[in-house]
Amino acid sequence: MLPATTLTPHFKAEVMNLLYMGEGAPPNLCVHCAICSAACPAVEFMDHSPRQLLAMINAGMKDEVLASNTFWTCSSCFACSERCPQGIHPAQIMYALKRYSLWHSRYPEGLIGPDFSRRFVKTILRNGKSYEPGYAPAFIWEGGFSGLLHEVQGAMKLLAKGRLPLIPSKIKRVKRFREMIGRIIPLDGIS
Amino acid sequence: MKTYAYYPGCSLETMAASYHVSAVEVADRLGVELVEIEDWNCCGATAYSHVDELLAQVLCARNLALAEKEERLELVAPCSGCFKNLYFANDHMLDDPDLMEHMNFALEADELSYSGSVTVHHLMDMFATEIGIDVIAARVTDPLTGVKVAPYYGCQMTRPRKKGETLQDVEGPTTFEDLLSAIGATPVDYPHRMRCCGASLIATNRPAALSMLRDLLQDAVSAGADVIATSCPLCQINLEVYQAEVNRELDTDFSMPIIYFTQLMGLALGAKPKKLGIGREIVKVAPILECRSREARTPVG
Amino acid sequence: MSDKKQLLIVDDDPDFAGAISEILESAGYDTEITHNPKTGWSALKGRRFDLLLLDIMMGRGAEGVMMARKIRNDPELRDMPVLIITGMREQIAFLFPGQAIHPRFVPVDELVEKPIEPDLLLDRVQALIATAENRQAGGDE
Repeated sequence: MLPATTLTPHFKAEVMNLLYMGEGAPPNLCVHCAICSAACPAVEFMDHSPRQLLAMINAGMKDEVLASNTFWTCSSCFACSERCPQGIHPAQIMYALKRYSLWHSRYPEGLIGPDFSRRFVKTILRNGKSYEPGYAPAFIWEGGFSGLLHEVQGAMKLLAKGRLPLIPSKIKRVKRFREMIGRIIPLDGIS
Repeated sequence: MKTYAYYPGCSLETMAASYHVSAVEVADRLGVELVEIEDWNCCGATAYSHVDELLAQVLCARNLALAEKEERLELVAPCSGCFKNLYFANDHMLDDPDLMEHMNFALEADELSYSGSVTVHHLMDMFATEIGIDVIAARVTDPLTGVKVAPYYGCQMTRPRKKGETLQDVEGPTTFEDLLSAIGATPVDYPHRMRCCGASLIATNRPAALSMLRDLLQDAVSAGADVIATSCPLCQINLEVYQAEVNRELDTDFSMPIIYFTQLMGLALGAKPKKLGIGREIVKVAPILECRSREARTPVG
Repeated sequence: MSDKKQLLIVDDDPDFAGAISEILESAGYDTEITHNPKTGWSALKGRRFDLLLLDIMMGRGAEGVMMARKIRNDPELRDMPVLIITGMREQIAFLFPGQAIHPRFVPVDELVEKPIEPDLLLDRVQALIATAENRQAGGDE
């Protein structure tokens, strides 16, 4: 593991506060059995395994945690949370770290995940619906159809099979929908 | 005819349209009606929880409130991601009166309210437990004899664990296999049946997702499957649409049809393939239909 | 019990909460810090505070809005002045870049954005407590 340059002892408490309503046990109960890492289907693509990430949180290695791609590589399959013998919910910790990372604009350069999440959220705020399951909004609105075609060679085939729409879908009561959102996120321009 | 509030979710309007038509067709043949919720909105997928969970929560609360307003208190979602989001949003509001109150404050802007009376089902769970495996088996006219199907559970239909569920429910479910057996198919056992397909990593970390898809496809091939059946649009799309990418980038040669479990049910219940959206695939499913007819033509004795 | 004014700070950022606490303490206030709405609510129900300094983005998301509404709906707490100090615009600016926080649905006495100048902080705290006391005195007549 990387040597820590500066420790932030209260980082563990910050993470726990993000999860204050969660059902999982706090990360400091981790016994390092590493079943989370064993259960994780994406672990080989992570800078640090889920177990290592928990240890880093507990050690206060805030800078290293935020520089890690680990939580952005979590696909929310919940296998770790199901299997942790200590009742820790690593998948919820990954969500919490994504929020923390977005709220503070701190993530490694070159990651698609943070940008993707933000664009996805904006898309739904605009239309009430997603254009496509998960991934397409980022490419369709920002890169146009050529972006999508580049991303998925199969897109041409999907178009041919009538499985890609040309016009994004929209809910009927978008205005009231946005007023509803404005009561949760009180920003001008939403409602 | 029993009716359900039907929440198709965004992908069933487009890339997964065949899941939608086959779900409605099968429900109809089994004597239940799926009534689409009027003006439903996106469930928030996973991205909303990356930004604000209360925002994610209100998206689901609106859909639940719409179902309640229509007085259809049994809600069915065919997409595992939508199901998980709606199920837990409902659960969280029932557990937390402050959250319920805050959501109602927001819903008021759309002249809606929610009291917590809706029950959320995954489509597969509705067929298996609300209608019943035995009832379905009794309705089969064209059993899928000899078709070896890899049941792919994916993640969010079973995980996270719900209140009252046992270890068996989350680690060793058999609903999918039971359903396949009921329609005459042969479920094949393979270790990756509940391992993630990569989900939205296909957009955010392509090498990771392609590798996960490769492992899954290889596992089903090794187990001798003719076809993989899914119960989630994102799983189907990743496994099917990105199969060519897996072949090209990871030097494999898969040609595995990926079909919705409702399409298989529909075939067994006597529906015409076209009514089930069959024919809109990129990896042809025709071979499995031939495989069945070959089996059926084989003289007995 | 001290005759100093009692202030509660609910903010998930320990550095920021610590910093404003120091400023307020050196100006003669007593402060208590909590870092999430749940512990914040317990503190409010445990003893009387003269003012609450409340963050918005905490825990699951825009929880400060929810907590402010809960306070306004609570018979014991509804008259307590609430000052929101938030960095929300920075935190989720990507949703609607350049847009202001709309106080319409945040039922608080005042809303200011981080970073806050110490003088402004002390000025607002003093003014809000004074207004609340006048209101209280008026109500008692």
